[in-house]
Amino acid sequence: MARLLVQLKLRLLVNALRSSNSAKISFIISSAFAVLLAIFTFIVLAGFRGKSTSVELTSVIFTVFAFGWLIAPILVFGVDSTLDPSTLALYPLRTRPLATGLLAASFTGFWPLANVVGLLGVTVGLASGGLGVIVAVAAVVLQVLFCIALSRFVTTSLASLLRSRRGRDLAAFLIIPLVALYEFFTQVVPKAASEGKITAASFTGFDSWMRWLPPGLAAHAIQDASDGRPGLAFARLGALAAVIVVFVWLWVRSLGRALVTADTTTQSSRVRGMKLPLAGLGLRGAVAARFWLYQRREPLSLVYWGLVAVITAAVSASSVFGQQHHPATILASAVFGAAFVGIFHANAAAQTGPAFVLEATALGRRRDLRAYFSGQNLVLCVIGAPLVVAVCFALAAVVGDPGMGVEAAPIVLAGLGAALGLGDLFTAALPYPMVKRAGTPVFVAAPGYAGHRIGSVLGTLAGTAALAAPVIVGAVLAANGPDAIRIGVLLPGAAVYGFVLAVAGVRLAAKVAESKMPEICQVALRTAA
Amino acid sequence: MSTPDGADTELPRYPGPAAPRTGGAAIVVRGLRKKFGTKEAVAGIDLEVAAGSLAGLVGPNGAGKTTSLSMMTGLLRPDSGQILINGIDVWADPPAAKAVIGVVPAEARLFDRLSGEELLEYAGRLRGLPAGQARSRAAQLLDVLDLAGDARRLVADYSTGMRKKAALGCALIHNPPVLFLDEPLEGVDPVSGDVIRRLLARFAGSGSTVLFSSHVMELVEQVCDHVSIIDKGKIVVTGTIDEVRGGKTLQRAFIDLVGPRATDKEVLSWLGSSSS
Repeated sequence: MARLLVQLKLRLLVNALRSSNSAKISFIISSAFAVLLAIFTFIVLAGFRGKSTSVELTSVIFTVFAFGWLIAPILVFGVDSTLDPSTLALYPLRTRPLATGLLAASFTGFWPLANVVGLLGVTVGLASGGLGVIVAVAAVVLQVLFCIALSRFVTTSLASLLRSRRGRDLAAFLIIPLVALYEFFTQVVPKAASEGKITAASFTGFDSWMRWLPPGLAAHAIQDASDGRPGLAFARLGALAAVIVVFVWLWVRSLGRALVTADTTTQSSRVRGMKLPLAGLGLRGAVAARFWLYQRREPLSLVYWGLVAVITAAVSASSVFGQQHHPATILASAVFGAAFVGIFHANAAAQTGPAFVLEATALGRRRDLRAYFSGQNLVLCVIGAPLVVAVCFALAAVVGDPGMGVEAAPIVLAGLGAALGLGDLFTAALPYPMVKRAGTPVFVAAPGYAGHRIGSVLGTLAGTAALAAPVIVGAVLAANGPDAIRIGVLLPGAAVYGFVLAVAGVRLAAKVAESKMPEICQVALRTAA
Repeated sequence: MSTPDGADTELPRYPGPAAPRTGGAAIVVRGLRKKFGTKEAVAGIDLEVAAGSLAGLVGPNGAGKTTSLSMMTGLLRPDSGQILINGIDVWADPPAAKAVIGVVPAEARLFDRLSGEELLEYAGRLRGLPAGQARSRAAQLLDVLDLAGDARRLVADYSTGMRKKAALGCALIHNPPVLFLDEPLEGVDPVSGDVIRRLLARFAGSGSTVLFSSHVMELVEQVCDHVSIIDKGKIVVTGTIDEVRGGKTLQRAFIDLVGPRATDKEVLSWLGSSSS
């Protein structure tokens, strides 16, 4: 069974590579990342040699790897078709050999190998003496085994959840903290490290509890063996092996259950309201009503708003967390926040997917299309403007310059008008199919359309900044002026300017879409959720 | 037609010519062609469907049924050819043509974060119906389609049959003179299938025109008065049901026309309980 499933995984990989050039490129990039990860991890772990805190730092790295194995299959890779037990449910397979086979298949691939090679950096960084190196090799193998057993257990337990609507809804929200963490690590940690705020000693406290977690057991076993305490080292390795056995046992049980359990998470979802809102606004109101309900009920919409808030805040992160505060970055936050409202909602027909056919068969004339675009913009403005303005005010308060919030507000209004207009224009002029892979919460460009996506993102970002430039200049010039000018003139002026930009975008987009409706519709039909 | 709240006393025709201007034909297709790369999906279709008739378009997988229906409904631009719906040229004036048709696509992918009643109301309001009228028609259609009990459930949690029925409700809510359906009974259970069948017969009986594609020969035989068989992008035969089946069952006539597959007797000699 193990051999068969390993062969199956390799066969699926080879077939995927043969299917398209983009799959080949994707594989090469992924493998290159795996090699880089192996080299980088090895160097980092080896670099701990001679440091007093090397065991604490190794524990942290081991824990980060376990965490990565835990969330990566849920967020990045989805439920691997070779690992989803439901695909094997029809075959007469006993659970134990099936579990062994799936575990072996999990070991197959560049990433597990990269993990082993990378973590072997501990043979240089932490281990010393013959016994230390031997225990280090065993600890690395056990650590990777633990990661895989943990990952398989969680993936199998979640497989049925991720196949259900509610499960996917739930998983969608995990991306917000992930992006926030990513922004934190890329913007804040390097800056804090360069300023000397994060040192090796910072992790000492962590180790007091981390040493009892499985990754900590592996790291401390290496140190014990290197310090001449073989008994304690082997006891730790034994404890780690026991934890692995428990996880494999739980996994086998979960696997057995998953094979015969139906998805019962989609049985009741009643809505309270009876009527679509905005009945008095005609076609525009109908589109806005549907779009409004989707902002509440579609997890992806909520994810987009979460990401807009995170991105708006992240642009000013260096000022918020840095030693020197640059309040002007809040103006950049305003531009980015507004731009991303447009970016996330551009290519609207493709994001609607095949359901767009219902709208396409009803929308034909230019005035209908204007109502379609402006109805959506209305909702995005009602949510986006207060959200981005509120984040900017919060940032201004944090950096101790609340006045910057007042300066940012008109920029948000003008930027939002520009971004929504540009988003509509990209929806009409540059539609491209999108895909949402199993387990990943957001849409990405379908293979071969990454250029469209990049063009749309950069175009909206640059266009928003350029079109909002007059208001940015006005805000900077009026920064020290009386409040009457800032609030009484600049704010309404920017609102009108943003409105004009949005209307111009809607009119232009409707003109383009009128002649391209069948093509836009085909793009929507090719989008797979 | 009367309604519980009196909001909808009659079902007015949506704007468009009340009577076809094509000599009694509601749908006229001339020289329709479509190529995808080097493959000619539709290779010159000529078709006429009389007003008030319920016509079937049948053919094997990949014959060009969905491509043809997509072009007839203004969702896919043809390479050449002309399509008239009630006398309106679909590709010369797409909005006018869209106003007089209802469409049920093959894959009933709907706005699944709306409830059934919200979805139908939305479809009605998209078609320009006043909100009250859209709401009352939605309620009636949901009732007839046996979805009233699930009207407040999200469409995301509907079964395939329920989605097909909801899609049919969306296509009918503006009372179009011409209705196109692509595989309306694909994946639908017999009970839901019967509901759809009866509604289509009632709709066509009132003088409206229905054209649908299907693999289910029994359905076509039972409800259609006309049928066209399409193969390799061309109509190979068209006429009344009796004319096309020529004394055989429609299933037999269909298989004879599109060509039976070679026998597998020799190759699968191991298959079956009498073999070891």
